[in-house]
Amino acid sequence: MEQFTQAAINGIMLGGFYAIMVLGFSIIWGVMGVINLAHGEFVMLGAYITWFVSRQLGWEPFLAIIFVLPIMFALGYVLQRILINRIIERPHLISLLVTFALAIIMANAVKLAFEATFRSVTTMFSGFWRTGFGNVTIPITKSMVLVSALLVMLLLHLFLQYTRLGKSIRAAAQNREAARLVGIEIKQVYALTFAICIAITGLAGMLISPTQPIYPFMGPVLTLKAFAITALSGLGSIPGALMGGVVLGLVEVFIATYIPGVGTNLGIVSSFVILVVVLVTRPQGLFGGLKPAEAV
Amino acid sequence: MFSKRLLLIITVLLLLLAACTGSQAEPAADNTTDTEADSSTENTADTSEETSEETADEGDGECAGTIVLGSAVSSTGKYAREGKDTSQGYDTWLDWVNNEYGGIKVGDECYNVEIIYYDDEGDPDTAANLVERLITEDEVDFLLGPYSSGLTMSTSAIAEKYGMVMVEGNGASESIFERGFQNIFAVLTPAGNYTQSALKSLADQGAETVVVAYEDTAFPTSVGEGAIRWAEEYGLEVLAVETYPIDVADVSAIMTKFRDLEPDVFVGGGHFNDALLFVRGAQELGFNPQAMVITVGPSNPEFVAEVGDAANYIIGPTQWEATMSWEDEYFGTAAEYAARYEEMWGEPPTYQAAESTATALALQLAIEQAGSLEMDAVRQALFDLDVVTFYGPINFDETGKNAAKPMGAIQIQDGVINVVAPSEAAVTDLLYPMPAWEDR
Repeated sequence: MEQFTQAAINGIMLGGFYAIMVLGFSIIWGVMGVINLAHGEFVMLGAYITWFVSRQLGWEPFLAIIFVLPIMFALGYVLQRILINRIIERPHLISLLVTFALAIIMANAVKLAFEATFRSVTTMFSGFWRTGFGNVTIPITKSMVLVSALLVMLLLHLFLQYTRLGKSIRAAAQNREAARLVGIEIKQVYALTFAICIAITGLAGMLISPTQPIYPFMGPVLTLKAFAITALSGLGSIPGALMGGVVLGLVEVFIATYIPGVGTNLGIVSSFVILVVVLVTRPQGLFGGLKPAEAV
Repeated sequence: MFSKRLLLIITVLLLLLAACTGSQAEPAADNTTDTEADSSTENTADTSEETSEETADEGDGECAGTIVLGSAVSSTGKYAREGKDTSQGYDTWLDWVNNEYGGIKVGDECYNVEIIYYDDEGDPDTAANLVERLITEDEVDFLLGPYSSGLTMSTSAIAEKYGMVMVEGNGASESIFERGFQNIFAVLTPAGNYTQSALKSLADQGAETVVVAYEDTAFPTSVGEGAIRWAEEYGLEVLAVETYPIDVADVSAIMTKFRDLEPDVFVGGGHFNDALLFVRGAQELGFNPQAMVITVGPSNPEFVAEVGDAANYIIGPTQWEATMSWEDEYFGTAAEYAARYEEMWGEPPTYQAAESTATALALQLAIEQAGSLEMDAVRQALFDLDVVTFYGPINFDETGKNAAKPMGAIQIQDGVINVVAPSEAAVTDLLYPMPAWEDR
């Protein structure tokens, strides 16, 4: 029972990270139909900004948020205006090529700037709380990741539901032409959506930096994982991302905990098995979500 | 209708992405490394002055020709960091042999050396293709090894196919040497012996139980299986063994299982990133073994920089440390080698760098002993080689392993990497047990 509780805690913590990590990927895909192959690299970039700030200024890593959010937002906005907006209404393959190129450029630029050494960020919130239930502990850093993830999701949900811009974003996602007809300036909406998503993605990078080693080529694995979770959660759905992330986190950790020897391997395999099963049986995702922008 | 198309796109995408994860980088460029003539040439140890005097009359430009060596080494991908150490190690030798030693002596002639590098991106298939290209298109004379056992595995098969000698210092997995190959020579201690001296010291200190976790690739598997073997040899009980895949990002499940077993010793076999994950994982779940033995990470000075105080008490196997007492007539003592390296690259050498330099040195000595560039003669000279270098003794057995060199163990103590085993090389005592995370 102790082990079960601990596994559940570990799984939910992992799920929290997955949820915030996948959010930007899922919304960009849902709203503008762009599959961002550079997604993992944006996570990496957020983590590197955090590492740089905490190493150079000696700050607590989580304070790096005041750099991560504006820098990533600006980067997202600029990239969208000069690059992504030009390809949004082209065939899918073009956006794949462009974002893939972005991924290569970013990974290698970071490698040139900071070398390929694995980096790690030390936070004062390392360690754990004892629950008083046997050996069961709650990791402090990862709970902060989970709480931040929930908070960001709540804010984003409120933003999409109740603000004018949020409504424009949803309108643009549902029907680009109709949104244009009612006077929504679609390029501006797209640029802001992309900027917000990249900022959140960078934030995810910041949040994981104390729990995982970071290095310039960490991106592709995260992008791949984002695919699997998006398939599970449906495009652009916030509750979906949370559920998808947590389901995947729990599945991975439970398999890893209860299968001796090779559990961790099987746990990671399981996420891709789930991907295939969901795509075959429920291609719109388990939890609905935004309707994807029409392909081509 | 739409969903089918989406399904198709995603499937294609995933395939594309899977194919691309190993090759994020630009196609390998022809990076023929120039010798770093600007630095380190003044740094002559006593011993090397003698040799340079002998050859002073020959001068640089008068050599009979150029020996071209080739190597696929990661400059991007998972092994970019260790790959850099590897190529810097080779280049330290290259600079020394061309500018100080006066070229490789073959009979009465001297030969300058050139090394052609390709970026293998950490991918075994890419590395194999590049080595094939080095042999068939660049027509190199001999091969130097890549970084990591996995890549050495794939590239040595190509070298064997063409009967081309490959000397390496960064592929320690036993499986490399179990294929009956005649062209692979490794200067480093094989992976199965990595944890031997650490486990022996810990058993002497009273440790009784061990848990082992290792990445399921060639080198960590050899380390892990070796650890199990040595643990049993020294009377330690192995409570659990766990494996994990190469790009693992979460080891909390492994740490949870291990925590409940309350072992005395944790052995983690992996690479640098896994070492970070293990320390973080143990710290955040309150997993408190009496000792943590982790490969590759702890012996690298960067590890302390990245992990901070949590790195203290961690034990790591080491192929080589600058404080060890080995010495040769080429690079001087281990410490003199380290000083030369630091002057050249602005950072202290890791053992990966030192063993790479030793790799090239072993090839050079074999060529000189053979007195010829003939492949068969050099191969035989490698089998016959029996020398002590700044890196330790080198004496290849019939499979190409260096059976002569013992493995050391270091422990991080107050942020300093100290050799604690074997006793003849130790500079300080092993601190055991390590305090619980809460009590630090």
